[in-house]
Amino acid sequence: MIRRTFLLSTLLATSLAVAAPALAEEIAIGAHMPLTGSLARSGQAFNEGMQVAIKVFNESQSKHKIKVTVIDDESQPAKAVTAVEKLNSDGAAAIIGGYGSNIVGPASDTSNRLGKVYITGGAVSDELVARGNTHFFRINNNAGYQRGVEGLMQELKPNGISIVASTREAPALLAKGLEESLTKLGFKVTLHPFDPAITDFKPIINKVKLQDKSEIIFMSAYENDYVGIIRAAKVLKPQVKAIVGAWSLATPKMYSDFPDLMQNVIGTTFLPFPVEVKDEEGKKFAAVYKEMFGKEIEYASTLAFVETMVLSEALARAADAGTLKSGGLLAEMKKTDRPSPLGRITFNAVGDNPNFALSMGQHRDGKIPLVSPAASATGKIAYPALPW
Amino acid sequence: MFELLQQSLFSGLLVGSVYALVALGIALTFGAMKIINLAHGELVLLAAYMAYVIESRTGWNPYAAIPLAFAVTALVSIAIYLLIERIREHRELNSLILTFAIGVILTNAILLVFASDVRSTNSPLLQDAVSLGSVYAMNSELLAFVVSLLVMAGLWWWLRNSWYGRAVRAVSSNRDASMLMGIDPRRVELAAFIVAGILASVAGVALYTMSVVQPALGPALTVKAFVVTVLAGVGSIPGVFCAALLLGVTEAMTVTLASSALQELVGMVLFLLVLFFMPNGLFGARARRG
Repeated sequence: MIRRTFLLSTLLATSLAVAAPALAEEIAIGAHMPLTGSLARSGQAFNEGMQVAIKVFNESQSKHKIKVTVIDDESQPAKAVTAVEKLNSDGAAAIIGGYGSNIVGPASDTSNRLGKVYITGGAVSDELVARGNTHFFRINNNAGYQRGVEGLMQELKPNGISIVASTREAPALLAKGLEESLTKLGFKVTLHPFDPAITDFKPIINKVKLQDKSEIIFMSAYENDYVGIIRAAKVLKPQVKAIVGAWSLATPKMYSDFPDLMQNVIGTTFLPFPVEVKDEEGKKFAAVYKEMFGKEIEYASTLAFVETMVLSEALARAADAGTLKSGGLLAEMKKTDRPSPLGRITFNAVGDNPNFALSMGQHRDGKIPLVSPAASATGKIAYPALPW
Repeated sequence: MFELLQQSLFSGLLVGSVYALVALGIALTFGAMKIINLAHGELVLLAAYMAYVIESRTGWNPYAAIPLAFAVTALVSIAIYLLIERIREHRELNSLILTFAIGVILTNAILLVFASDVRSTNSPLLQDAVSLGSVYAMNSELLAFVVSLLVMAGLWWWLRNSWYGRAVRAVSSNRDASMLMGIDPRRVELAAFIVAGILASVAGVALYTMSVVQPALGPALTVKAFVVTVLAGVGSIPGVFCAALLLGVTEAMTVTLASSALQELVGMVLFLLVLFFMPNGLFGARARRG
């Protein structure tokens, strides 16, 4: 009896061991992220969001197991191109793109040439979807940020807007787009482009104070620039009524790092803080993110989570249909239509997500209520209100 | 317009004083050894992060971090010198490659230890605005200006009056002749590297109090310091200060009169013009002829 039980157990264990790999088909994908260099802060947040998505997806089903290989592109376009070529030669079924339009551009061109699907949540330049690349997909875009800011300006109706914009590609494009659209809407707009190497913003803010006399300063830039601009404004105290900015501004991290500068500052976001995630996927993401990294979800990591989930599901559908190796992933990506913590995700003919739109959040004593548009607001805007 | 220009001139002078602090170290090693330390920006950055450590852990004023910053930058400077000293052939060229590699290593070490977040002081005292007539600045900027003047005066005194200072000038003028006079160039060069480390530590702390630091900043600091050094010409400490102020004011005026997008370009054009018309720098010609 004992021998029979032993034999049966051994047989069962052996069958399970043989059957297990067959049940969970491993799909290798690749990613290039700026884990070092000037974009490392965003790159690391993207990497975290992507790792959470892989874990969530793999645990949500047992048929497919996504395995990702990440290469640090060092915030350099040439390294990103090399990374895509290496990932392709290593057999990656698709590529998750990095951060920065100037890096994603050449990297996704290479991916397109190699016939690999490339998805990104970190490159908003309009040029990326005007190239006719058939394998390029992205979940966010310039238009979404622009809509959020335009909506806020229409609600506040300032007498003038001074746009202080970095000459890096994405901030410059957003600033140019806003200059055109806000002028069409009847606002007086003055654009002040600045070199990314600038450290003292007082000469620019002094022009805003003495020449523009605008009621709003809009910053299209990155974290280090925001700190410099707001500091200069705090010193010169122009007669503005609000300071508004683009990405990576309305985040709890900015408040915890620079509490004296962030009070009342408004920025684009899609979640209030403390995080109030209403959908199940968002709740799961927030819980696993906290478990893995010990902190609340943030802007960049959420973008990476969504792009990775979208890709993982398309990979699984193509694998189920047996078309993964014969180009079926492209068709499955085009069929994407799902809700997400960022809103609905679909892709148009050029691979862009036309549904992407952002709200505006305002730093208030360590919290970030959504204050615009009115339909999604979780708090009332403080206006006029400044950090000083 | 006059108000704009006044503020621009004032801001340019304040920014220029920090450029001078950063450049003094690179000018010293370049003057003493004809070696361009391409890791100097990372040394400054390392000191800035020491200021962050002291402020965030203890709540003290970031300037209290100068002893710690000095210890760290001096140790790294000694290590850099010991590596350079092992170069046997084409020291000037090979040291460029070596210090560039050390800079990359330091940047990545800073990234590993401190992550990629932007850092700056949260001290209300240092950030408070102060007005001098119709021009404005942060307390930290005025303090950095005064510190820069003091450091420049101290370095000038050291080079003129101390034995090591005079030895640095002797090695800088003629290495072989200085050896005949009983000077050990290795000891003198090491001393120059340590003093450059001290200068980097003060520059880093000042930078942290008035600006924003992040791991990728090092190369930009090195380039700025090198531009100032070339503008000044070799061997002139007051020249470094004047060249740094000139660069700061030129950049600030470009922002006011044209566009901020052009400020780096104008700085580089100034650099090229000086290289073209005054190859010995604005303040180095007389010394070279002498």
